[in-house]
Amino acid sequence: MAGAGGGGGLGGGPAAMGGSDLQWCFSQVKGAIDEDVAEADIISTVEFNYSGDLLATGDKGGRVVIFQKEQEIVSPLRVAVSSTRHSCGARSQHLPYVAMPQLSNKSRLHSRGEYNVYSTFQSHEPEFDYLKSLEIEEKINKIRWLPQQNAAHFLLSTNDKTIKLWKISERDKRAEGYNLKDEDGRLRDPFRITALRVPILKPMDLMVEASPRRIFANAHTYHINSISVNSDHETYLSADDLRINLWHLEITDRSFNIVDIKPVNMEELTEVITAAEFHPHQCNVFVYSSSKGTIRLCDMRSSALCDRHSKFFEEPEDPSSRSFFSEIISSISDVKFSHSGRYMMTRDYLSVKVWDLNMETRPVETYQVHEYLRSKLCSLYENDCIFDKFECCWSGSDSALMTGSYNNFFRMFDRSMRRDVTLEASRESSKPRAILKPRKVCTGGKRKKDEISVDSLDFNKKILHTAWHPLDNIIAVAATNNLYIFQDKAN
Amino acid sequence: MEAQKEAQRIMTMSVWKMYHSRMQRGGLRLHRSLQLSLVMRSARELYLSAKVETDEAELAFPAAALAPASSLPQPMTVAEAEADSPPRAEETIPAPEPMETQEARETESAPACSHLPPVPQRSLKANRKRRSSTLGQGGEAGLVPSKKARLEEETAPAEGKAEVEAEDLEKRQSQVEEGPFPSLARVLQKRFSGILSNTGGPPKPTAPPPSCELKPGCRQADNMINILVRTVVAF
Repeated sequence: MAGAGGGGGLGGGPAAMGGSDLQWCFSQVKGAIDEDVAEADIISTVEFNYSGDLLATGDKGGRVVIFQKEQEIVSPLRVAVSSTRHSCGARSQHLPYVAMPQLSNKSRLHSRGEYNVYSTFQSHEPEFDYLKSLEIEEKINKIRWLPQQNAAHFLLSTNDKTIKLWKISERDKRAEGYNLKDEDGRLRDPFRITALRVPILKPMDLMVEASPRRIFANAHTYHINSISVNSDHETYLSADDLRINLWHLEITDRSFNIVDIKPVNMEELTEVITAAEFHPHQCNVFVYSSSKGTIRLCDMRSSALCDRHSKFFEEPEDPSSRSFFSEIISSISDVKFSHSGRYMMTRDYLSVKVWDLNMETRPVETYQVHEYLRSKLCSLYENDCIFDKFECCWSGSDSALMTGSYNNFFRMFDRSMRRDVTLEASRESSKPRAILKPRKVCTGGKRKKDEISVDSLDFNKKILHTAWHPLDNIIAVAATNNLYIFQDKAN
Repeated sequence: MEAQKEAQRIMTMSVWKMYHSRMQRGGLRLHRSLQLSLVMRSARELYLSAKVETDEAELAFPAAALAPASSLPQPMTVAEAEADSPPRAEETIPAPEPMETQEARETESAPACSHLPPVPQRSLKANRKRRSSTLGQGGEAGLVPSKKARLEEETAPAEGKAEVEAEDLEKRQSQVEEGPFPSLARVLQKRFSGILSNTGGPPKPTAPPPSCELKPGCRQADNMINILVRTVVAF
């Protein structure tokens, strides 16, 4: 087992990541500064699109905010256009990320590929299931982009029950010169129209429209935890606690159940599905993780119902570290294939593991995220933090990993150099291009300067969702209602 | 002893979490329920094994242990010990027996009950048990009124009888319609609400009822835990 680092972060020097010494610097922060955070504004998912030009966030209020990377050179015209953009279908009173200091004229003039709001829309509304007498939350659990095939962008967003396919398209021209209607908009009598007039397209302010194209509902009894678009670009999967369904992106009225682990007698239930993802290149392969800390790889070619896995990844439990909470902390909260498709990464409560798809018996790499919390599990159970579901992500080159922790700390692990670093997303260090200083958590008795003790960590500040630009060293880190964007210094 | 306390604390915490997660927006989450039940199970195992150890230790002194043997005092001491040991009042897992009596009094203080024989508490209890068909305690058989006798008694207040029957019918129907889980859930909820009202303060559980009731009481506590360690799913 290749273990890197205890808890405090070994990377004493600069935040070295990506094979060479790389320093992360602050780029932007989105979201209100207020101490008083509205529940609806808490970010619940972050996702870059395939090119990295768009960055989508979903929040607990059911909104999706899309940021677009501005061009390096900003022309005055472009600034004027971007400032007049507006979104369709958004509730105007809920635009949490719009009024940002980063949008000031000064920063625009010095823009170096910053992300600015492109579109905001209300993806899901709270609903009520009258049959079960249950409220369905509007919280966006996951967003997944579809590969771009034309000028428009498509994404899937899901709450606990319903998945929606959204089209985000631009419109900067409108047709004018119709003579079919009068000034009031009423249709004119066709017999009174004597001239044939061809409408002409006139330029207008750029408008970004978000429109729901498909709604995939009523297929999940339990809460949806994952969606994943297949590499065939035609299908996707959605997973809830006990089942995984396969959908065609064009068809909303039926889906195929490909995994069902629901026992006949629910009293015999011992595990649930916690995450699922398609292989990035092999459209017949997907994996799903379970609350027992295991991962199953299934091949859809072997049978329609993939109840029998092809591969089963499990690491033997260390009996010496057993506690009341062993089952909770071994539960996998996220699983992600590497871009190459050779590895997958899993996140459990205390660690990140990298598995080679060719070796099922143990992970090839294990990184401790915050091992110092092992002795605090009882308190974390008491304050419910132990149930937090941290996600994880790969760097574009698969050479580094990133995942979140508490106290607005996030961790990065360099795979080749076996180095790790703890960084902090905070407003204090949010000066433009300020280099992030590595943080250390003091685990022993003596606390050195610049170290923070475990007891003074703020467990209300947690980074559950992070995303890494697929091509560049740009990362997006969601800290409660704020979205931080960091870049490497060279970028 | 320390481990036992810790296990008990975690069990209590788990019960609270289970109870509160039922009221969570968006409904009960299966993953969370499962995890809570797993913690509950491991805590219970530790608690019971620790308890067996202490029991064995007590048995090692037969003279001391057998003195108050008969029936009443020993369970009382156990109950007292359980109530006293944890640091906070709400951290005890109260034996559910008193709760049930309390609940029974609250829900069934209808006219029908007032016409019952002079030991109302006991017959009420028998009532409940028969209806929910939980514990057929052999020792209590004599105390449970026969079906016929009870019906005769209940014919007097027509209103009360109708009420009781309606309640019974409703229970049976819902059980048939919803399968075993919702009824389990209801049992849980009732017990939890009992715990809550107890810890709330004023209506402290009455002193454990007479001797013969105590043993079932203790056993029921284990029974309750048994129910709790299962994942409760509403569909």
